[in-house]
Amino acid sequence: MSAESISEVMRDPVRPAAASLSEEKRTITVAVAGNPNSGKSTLINAIAGTRLHVGNWPGVTVEKKEALFEYEVKLIKLVDLPGTYSLSPYTQEEIITRDYLVHEMPDVIIDVMDATNLERNLYLTVQLLELDIPVIMALNMYDEAEKKGYTIDSNMMEEMLGVKIVPTIATRKAGLHDLLKAVVKLVDDPSSHHPKKLNYGEDIESAVSAVEKQLKDSYPSLAEKYPLRWLAFKFMEEDEHVQSELKISGDVLLIEDAVRHLKKAHEEDMESIMADARYAQAAGLTREVLKRPELRKTDLTEKIDRIALNRFLGIPLFLAAMWFMFKLTFDVSKPLGDWMNALTFGPFKRWAEALVGLIHAPAWMSSLVTDGVIAGVGSVLVFVPVIFAMMFFITFLEGSGYMARAAFVMDRAMHSIGLHGKSFIPMLLGFGCNVPAIYATRTLENQRDKALTALLIPLMSCGARLPVYVVFIGAFFPAYAGTVLWSLYVMGIALAIVMGLIFKRTLFKGEAPMFIMELPPYRLPSFKSLMIHTWEKGKHFLIKAGTYILAVSILVWFLLNLPWGVESKKDSYLGQVGQVVAPVLKPLGFGSWEAASSLMAGVIAKEIVVGTMGEIYVKKTGEEQSAVKPAFTADLIEIGTSFTTALRNSAENVFSTFGISSLSTKEDEKRSGLKSVLRTTFTPLSAYAFIVFVLLYMPCVVVAIAMRQEFGTWKWFGISFAYQMALAWLMAFVIYQGGTLLGIGG
Amino acid sequence: MLPLGLLASGEQAEIMGIRERKESEPCECSKNKHRDEQCRIEGMGIRIGKRIEMLTNEGRGPLLLKVDESRIAVGRGMAMKILVRRNEI
Repeated sequence: MSAESISEVMRDPVRPAAASLSEEKRTITVAVAGNPNSGKSTLINAIAGTRLHVGNWPGVTVEKKEALFEYEVKLIKLVDLPGTYSLSPYTQEEIITRDYLVHEMPDVIIDVMDATNLERNLYLTVQLLELDIPVIMALNMYDEAEKKGYTIDSNMMEEMLGVKIVPTIATRKAGLHDLLKAVVKLVDDPSSHHPKKLNYGEDIESAVSAVEKQLKDSYPSLAEKYPLRWLAFKFMEEDEHVQSELKISGDVLLIEDAVRHLKKAHEEDMESIMADARYAQAAGLTREVLKRPELRKTDLTEKIDRIALNRFLGIPLFLAAMWFMFKLTFDVSKPLGDWMNALTFGPFKRWAEALVGLIHAPAWMSSLVTDGVIAGVGSVLVFVPVIFAMMFFITFLEGSGYMARAAFVMDRAMHSIGLHGKSFIPMLLGFGCNVPAIYATRTLENQRDKALTALLIPLMSCGARLPVYVVFIGAFFPAYAGTVLWSLYVMGIALAIVMGLIFKRTLFKGEAPMFIMELPPYRLPSFKSLMIHTWEKGKHFLIKAGTYILAVSILVWFLLNLPWGVESKKDSYLGQVGQVVAPVLKPLGFGSWEAASSLMAGVIAKEIVVGTMGEIYVKKTGEEQSAVKPAFTADLIEIGTSFTTALRNSAENVFSTFGISSLSTKEDEKRSGLKSVLRTTFTPLSAYAFIVFVLLYMPCVVVAIAMRQEFGTWKWFGISFAYQMALAWLMAFVIYQGGTLLGIGG
Repeated sequence: MLPLGLLASGEQAEIMGIRERKESEPCECSKNKHRDEQCRIEGMGIRIGKRIEMLTNEGRGPLLLKVDESRIAVGRGMAMKILVRRNEI
């Protein structure tokens, strides 16, 4: 079969499950398994149109994702399993996959295969077949295999494995109908499925039958819950996971008797013997069905890698890529952010005021709405474009395959701090948001790596800190915006190295773990998948703005306005606490109660620092709002025209990106009063010390919760809290006092 | 036979063995850490008898292998434990 003949393209994602379908109908559960980078997520996205997170580096789908839809009057539930190379119990992904398959017993497994990489993918297939669950194979990336000149005899493979094989090209949505049809057919007519029992050789087969029989005799009820042959294999392999789960020791099953001669003949432990036997099956199958051309061309990926992974060019290239990304992020998003700002503090605020006035609400209520909610949430929403632009570029790096190269390039540097390159990926994600970064540490193999990585992640400057930088940079360093911003990110990285070195010598003694990971081929991510994943990442920010930050804005407003009738914000609760803390911050150059109060509110989420400042400072100058209130329609027109201008500006900035553009423009004054107020209370030096403090001080509450969840203890968060507070104070102190001594920016 | 880490870029070799971890080296996370590691690299296709090609070996830092159609990055420490026989071309 040629790739062209997989002509049928799935144009629309399948329909969602309609409510009318509630008549008694059994849901078909289909588990989708496969190697990392086999196109599994793309395939699921193409079928269900769900918004799964597809990255390009191994191990990105750790969470279980599902999709329910209707296909040919059948209700199908797709379950996306994490990408794994094997079903041994050594990584989280493997354990998740295996536990799901064994315990949930899906009706069908779709085994997504990378057709360009048969042998390794078949190794997993062989293990899936042991589970006694019907398997349908999606021979994915069929076009790429053909491009390489491979011919795969899928008929023979069907024959040899006894499973249905459907060639697919998930990126072009080809072959997906055939795949679903095969699923439906198999469920409708189970007798059409004749899986071959793979023969692992006489020695192993006789041993496994003996154990299987022993299992059946001693524990008759097990057969209902587990595939016995698989269970027998696991007991032979002395799989601790299974042993402890079933609380059956190998002695009862006379395992030793069964495998003694095997062990003796091979001089290896049973697990290796079994792995070899399975691999022999995969290798044998591959030899039979795959024909590949003798000549091997250097492909594009190799050519790019020669530069990207070069010993001298690798790291500079990576740093340049990062710098370019930040620069582009700002240039593109600035005009849109300004537009959102004008929108929030112009029309929205006016409308809210009008609305509150309409219902004759008391003055405090109107203040709560405009000064609390709109000022608070509004100042944060302004950063939506920046956050989304940043997420877009991170997604692009991830999807293109460069992210995994970054891990490779950084491996040596990471080694010096007792980690390996793979830990770099969670850290890199930390630039987006520390929370998913903490969760991403579960792709690491052992507790030591996980804990050390999680401790360093908060030093990666997350998107939430960006709003704070943007305001201060805009107010104090418009001419060097890109550079100042870059310096903050680099400082975070440098301090992570220092802290890593310290932790390696104190908390985490012992050798660095081994590094092994697959580097996926470079590919151009599709616009659609970029959009989906940018949205996935950015939406957390929106949700946070809608819930957390809204709640906190209201809380802060109350803290700022209680006890009732306070004349000055200084006497409010938050102000009072701020006054107590302020002296501690004095040596850092920002010992005002306003700064202290904002920083404290920022513990909930760092972007709240800006929101709170908006409330505290803007109130001071606030009453200068013009009395002229444009009509509603005029507002709408203004919104529309200003939006198109903003879009045009941001598009122009992409192309003029080599000159410093947007951040340095002088139309700052249009922004809310915050920046000009800040200029009266901070000096450039204390402003820089302040943003450094914001970069380093304790991670937000959500990160704390994530750490607690991942490690089951507050211990690591406690350590993180303590060292970051100390580090933040120290760095801000050094910068401010050092700068003052040298007479910079005083 | 030589350790994989000594193979130069562009050379091809066959994997002959994977050396055991020395008794003196600490294994902190599980008692059969060596077995874990071996299983994981075998799961990725690096196993005895396999022919591989060294894509990048800069003499320091991790190295990049081509195993079948995938590119596998291996840490140097690990690479020194894998023994290979160089194929003369």
